[in-house]
Amino acid sequence: MDARSITVDDAHGDVLVIVIHGEQDIYTAPALRERLEQGLGAESGLIIDLAAATFLDSSILGALLEARRRAHDSGLGFAVALGETPEPGVQRILEITGLVPVFPVVGSRDEALDKIRAATAAGA
Amino acid sequence: MTENGSSVVPVVRLTLPARPEGVGVVRQALAGLADAMALDGAILADAKMAVTEACSNVVMHAYGDTVGELDVEMLADEHAITVIVRDRGSGIRPRAARNEPSALGLGLPLIAALSDAFEVRGGPGTGTEVRMTFHHVREGDPAAERPIIGGPGEDGRWDPEAQPEVVEPGEQPA
Repeated sequence: MDARSITVDDAHGDVLVIVIHGEQDIYTAPALRERLEQGLGAESGLIIDLAAATFLDSSILGALLEARRRAHDSGLGFAVALGETPEPGVQRILEITGLVPVFPVVGSRDEALDKIRAATAAGA
Repeated sequence: MTENGSSVVPVVRLTLPARPEGVGVVRQALAGLADAMALDGAILADAKMAVTEACSNVVMHAYGDTVGELDVEMLADEHAITVIVRDRGSGIRPRAARNEPSALGLGLPLIAALSDAFEVRGGPGTGTEVRMTFHHVREGDPAAERPIIGGPGEDGRWDPEAQPEVVEPGEQPA
């Protein structure tokens, strides 16, 4: 697998998970935007899994923020999973931009799934 | 070469086409230098991020539709690593760049928050130079001294005035 790959995991049914590996910057942002486009086709929610990511720049934050806004506009849940042992190159930019509660950023992918499922159930 | 009495020599000098794929190459060079200097991992992470933003600004904004050059110089001594990123175009002042999605506009705030000292010189017509210094031992957290304010704006760019809107996943923002 490419060290900087971005894949879509559809094993969770109505929630799609975008899995991001390695270093992501303006070179890989167009590929991420394509995957996010796919992810926004999910039935009830979209999760960004950063557990295997090692670096994000502001162009990646921009792409994620846009996906978050579009998810909300179409009534989809949205959450970012940081993983149990986040890399400083991922955690730091999320923290100093104050975006942890905004996205929101949670620990594991399961936690993100639980949040989206609970919100969907509450909204139904 | 001396500067303020201490010996500071350029240890890395790179000139690359100002294309997106070059930014990762600069990060690799910085990681190599940091390894040789035994730089702390958290400081290296900050340096990689600040330098990435400076290089991305050159790639996205300096040359419009033409591809110019991205110049990077890295200097090191026992106290700090200094990275100088230069273009020969219109520089870091944000303006409509290529037909790519507009940048978030967080480049300079991130550089300010992640470096122990920074300076931007030049402007339209003369090229721009961004000089960032990262100390081996920090007295405090630069991100606490120069915090990033604001939040994502309506137009997709960073808005320094915005109050970040916090919603639960799955909930509609008000």
